[in-house]
Formats: sequence, structure tokens, C-alpha cells
Amino acid sequence: MYGWIWRHLPGPLVVRLFTAIALLIMIVAVLLFVFFPWLEPKLPFNDVSV
Amino acid sequence: MGSRQRQRTSALVVIVRTFGELMITFGIVVLLFVVYTLYVTDIVAAKQQGDVNDQLEQSWAGPATQQSVTPNKPPKHPVKPQQGAGFSRIYLPSFGTDFKFVIVEGVGQDELAVGPGHYPDTALPGQPGNVGIAGHRIGKGAPFNDLDKLNSCDAIVLETETDFFVYRVMPMPDEVANWDTVKQRDPRCARVPSLRQQNQPQGGPYNRTVGRRIVTPDRGDAVAPVPYRPDNPLPKAQQASLVTLTTCHPEYGNSERMIIHGALVNQVPKQQAGSYRALLGLIGEQV
Repeated sequence: MYGWIWRHLPGPLVVRLFTAIALLIMIVAVLLFVFFPWLEPKLPFNDVSV
Repeated sequence: MGSRQRQRTSALVVIVRTFGELMITFGIVVLLFVVYTLYVTDIVAAKQQGDVNDQLEQSWAGPATQQSVTPNKPPKHPVKPQQGAGFSRIYLPSFGTDFKFVIVEGVGQDELAVGPGHYPDTALPGQPGNVGIAGHRIGKGAPFNDLDKLNSCDAIVLETETDFFVYRVMPMPDEVANWDTVKQRDPRCARVPSLRQQNQPQGGPYNRTVGRRIVTPDRGDAVAPVPYRPDNPLPKAQQASLVTLTTCHPEYGNSERMIIHGALVNQVPKQQAGSYRALLGLIGEQV
């Protein structure tokens, strides 16, 4: 999967490297700021009130 | 090895490899979620806590909304705080002099993401009845992370616009029976009541109120004016002034709740105390 993505990134090595890092940061950002905040209240770890 | 067989093998390899990569990715995402829950939410909560703290300081610095009160008389008509607004501060000196949080009104997810939340319809600080406060134990600033380390007679200080209200954790279950002897080990315990009434069957209406209890999540009556008595057996004038802290239990689970009960022992006007640090000296806490 990662090999396939790497082969399909355009440009020379340096450009590919930056594209890959940018993609990674984007995915982490979406997880941290969109997905996890949505998911967290649905999980039973942190109910504190009676 | 024929070329057709090599092709089949490589197809299988691709499938297995992709599956493996997905599993590793999933594992990393789960780890990232742990980091998010334990640390990233702390950063967000600290920012929001700072914001409500600023708002609270502004509103306290502005024109007084409450008449200044005479010692040991709670304000007659305290202003009911607005949902989500900070209206008080909680200090737990046992966890260090820098332990302080602004309490916001409400115990929904949005409010608790900011700081400890006050159960609406429970008493306000200093009033007779029960001040109910919920707080996170994990992440989001985790204000109530260490509630299991509170001992009987440890102070729970609530600050309002005009006063510091000093509550102290009530006797633990194993101390209730001979509280009058146990309490003498520590001068801070002098005014901590067990609220048991010898002349009443089973010790009276407060017979289930102890320093710390673990209850099931459906015990909404833990924050009732008389804890665990939804029938509310006492008129307001006869109710003890209590504070009740609730958080999740076990630490990373939600199957139970940890409940801390404290009783009001001191009211110190802020004009008299000056600052929180000075108050700690006045009430015999180590600074």
C-alpha cells in the first residue's frame, strides 16, 4: 500500500519526500482535530457525572 | 518456477503485505488516540480554562453582583450562574498550592471540557444543601485525577466573589464509628462532623454520607441535598452544608463513579483573608 503510494507520487525524490510528509501531517491533523474529538465522547472512558 | 506461479505468489504477497501495513497503521492510529486523550485534550482544556478564568476575574472586578455578606451567613439570594459560565473556583490544597480550577455551570461534555462542572439545581458554595461538582479524571486537564488520594479532613476550598468556603472531607467509612476519637489525631479535623445522630435509627439521614464512596453511575442522588436520600427528608434550614465531588471510576473506565463528600467548616470573607495563600495559613494548611 505504502509502496504503491510512493510509486504514484509525482516528481523527483525531494518533491516526493515533501509530498509524503505533507500528506502525513494532513492525516494526523484530521485525526487530532476532527476525528478524535468526534470519536472521544462516544467512548466509555470519561463519564464523570452521576 | 513458472512465471504464472510467480505471479500468483506475488499477488498473495501483495495481499498479506497490504493487510500487515493496514494493521500497523491502525495500531499507530490507536496510539495517537491515546496521546490525544491524555495530552492534547489537556492543552485545549488549559486554554479554555484560562479563558473562563479571565472572564471570572473580569466579572468579579466589575460592579458587585452580591451584597457583601456577614461572616457565617451565606448570601441570601446568590445569583444563579449561567450555563457554561465560570462562577467559582475550587482549590484542593492537598494537591499543592497551585491546584486551582474555575468551576463552570453545567455537567455536559462541553462544560466539563473547560473544567470542573457544577450540577445545576444543586446548592451554590456556602449554601445549606449539597454543592455537586463533577470533573474529569483523565485528560481535559484531569482536575479530579487524584481524588482517590484525598483523606478525611483534607480541605476543599470554594472561592466565590466575596468569600472562601472551606469544606473538609468527611470521615472515611472505617473512621465513622469512632470518629470522636479518630479526629483528635489532627487539629484540622476539629470541626469536621460525622453527621451521625446517636439517638436516631442507623445514625440519621446522613448515615450513608462518608468521605469517599464508589457508586454505580445511576446514583444521581449522590448530589441530592441530603446525599443518597432522593426523598429529601430535611427542610433546607436543617440541611448540612456539603460539597460533593464526582469523577469516573475505575480510572480509565466508566462502570462506576468515585464520590467525595466534604462538610463546610469555615467561611472566610476574602477581604479578611486577603489571598488564597494567606487563607491557607489561617486554616492551618501547610503552604
